[in-house]
Amino acid sequence: MRKQHKTLSIVVLLVFLLLAAVFMFPFIWMLSSSLKDKSEIFANPPIWIPDTFHWENFTQLFTERHFGNVIVNSLFTAVTGTVGALFFCSLAGFAFAKYNFRGKRLLFGLVLASLMIPMESSMVPLFIIYRDLGLIDHLWGVILPRLTSAFGIFYMRQYCMSVENELLEAARMDGCSENRIYFRIVAPILIPAFASLGIIFFVEEWNNFLWPSVILRSEDKLTIAVAIRSLQSGVRTPYNLIMSGSVISILPMLAVIFIFQKQIFAGLTEGTVKG
Amino acid sequence: MQNFYWRWQFKTAPYRFVAPFFILFVVFVFLPFVFSIYLSFTNWHGEEVKTFVGLDNYKTLLTNREFWQSLLNSIIIFVLYVPVMLLLALIFASCLSSSWMKWTGFFRTVFFIPNITSVVAISFVFLLIFNSTGILNQVLMNAGVIHEPIPFLETPWWARISVSVLVVFRWTGYNMILLLGGMQSISKSLYEAAEVDGASGIKSFWYITLPMMKRLLAFCTVLSTLGTFSLFTEPFILTKGGPNLATTTPVMLIYKESFQNLNMGYASTISIFFFIVMMILSLMQLRLFRDND
Repeated sequence: MRKQHKTLSIVVLLVFLLLAAVFMFPFIWMLSSSLKDKSEIFANPPIWIPDTFHWENFTQLFTERHFGNVIVNSLFTAVTGTVGALFFCSLAGFAFAKYNFRGKRLLFGLVLASLMIPMESSMVPLFIIYRDLGLIDHLWGVILPRLTSAFGIFYMRQYCMSVENELLEAARMDGCSENRIYFRIVAPILIPAFASLGIIFFVEEWNNFLWPSVILRSEDKLTIAVAIRSLQSGVRTPYNLIMSGSVISILPMLAVIFIFQKQIFAGLTEGTVKG
Repeated sequence: MQNFYWRWQFKTAPYRFVAPFFILFVVFVFLPFVFSIYLSFTNWHGEEVKTFVGLDNYKTLLTNREFWQSLLNSIIIFVLYVPVMLLLALIFASCLSSSWMKWTGFFRTVFFIPNITSVVAISFVFLLIFNSTGILNQVLMNAGVIHEPIPFLETPWWARISVSVLVVFRWTGYNMILLLGGMQSISKSLYEAAEVDGASGIKSFWYITLPMMKRLLAFCTVLSTLGTFSLFTEPFILTKGGPNLATTTPVMLIYKESFQNLNMGYASTISIFFFIVMMILSLMQLRLFRDND
């Protein structure tokens, strides 16, 4: 019986190693293609490791395709969007968790209902509004709609429930204003929640494609996902450059998963399982 | 201490705290949405005048092959990938949560990586892999498995399968993490009791794990439904919605009609229909949420 168990677990391990290889293959192929000359992309037999590494694919993106700007733009939208959304979600989550006020149930119901309006169904008018406000081709146009997140409010509300009322009352006895209570007492308690939710927001924003591709136009205003797609042109698409851009776009995310995997997994399961 | 200012700031605090969300929500989601309802009754191509056309757009929509095709495509893609994805996620999660499995942290990370990396990047690499002269066809042909390249992106059914493979690749890890979370909340004593009673691993999976996970699996299914109907980037890059509309989704249709054909009125009509479909699905999701508590 024991021996049977052992062989079984080895077989499962081997199968998993094979699956892991399958899951990693697209990334390996991406890296390999990013270092090829354009003529080698579809070469037969396939070239696994190019004879010469064409690092100039990467430098070309920076010198000719404004990738320096593109990376700064992506970081700016992702960081600003994340910090802003965390701030607004935690404020609202705190209010819904720890205050009794007139209209609370109604307002919370509205937050719930807001989940049901997908961004895609108000895309057309939003584009018109943006045109009138001059937000087309503007990074703030990418950031602003991302600052509201009903999911974020739920998440923060859940977390704020664990803040002890005595703590808040004691601060009020000392004459502490509610703003100070948020910044001095609640926000520090929320740090783990900021980390989990913040990483999820950051990743989403970094990879965001549909809306940025609708409103961003100039080459030096693009975020990375849109910039990669803008390399695609008619018949002579430089797939090697697209792969180099893709490698650049996934490197920060790989860093994120290796550093913050605990927070990411905790964030995903807490947000959905406990509801 | 309890002066007027203090009482004022105390009373208004919750309103001030929820205000930013509601202001942003009204400006960037709600008003555009209401405007969208209005536009759906007009024939508008972006010029100054908007002609009111009543229910014309809705009639066009209901008789339009493209629209029904896009809904059907979503359903087909859903049927193609969800069972495979959930089964894989379930197998991954149950193996990775068992005591005899080695390197669980490593595998969990590897399977999850596709989910946090850029959809655009991954869709492009799949474009290279699935190309008629791409690596997959070359390897299969050189190994003698096939003699003609498989048209992964060129025939309707293969294109749908390719999009589905891409979605499975991206979302299996995510669902695995959700299921792992659920499995870790199942009490260990249940399994110990089963082992004492002489139940095999498979039996305890069937009679303990699966029933406990039923709700969570249903939740994952609803999430996937929402995801499939709003699928955009994957088919947009991999197949451009083709061939012959076979992988066009409702969101792609909205995008095409509004920003390429400039049929803003008609695009709004599709948006409203899309909203109704999504609302029904989210209501189902909320129901599951409530039952979970």
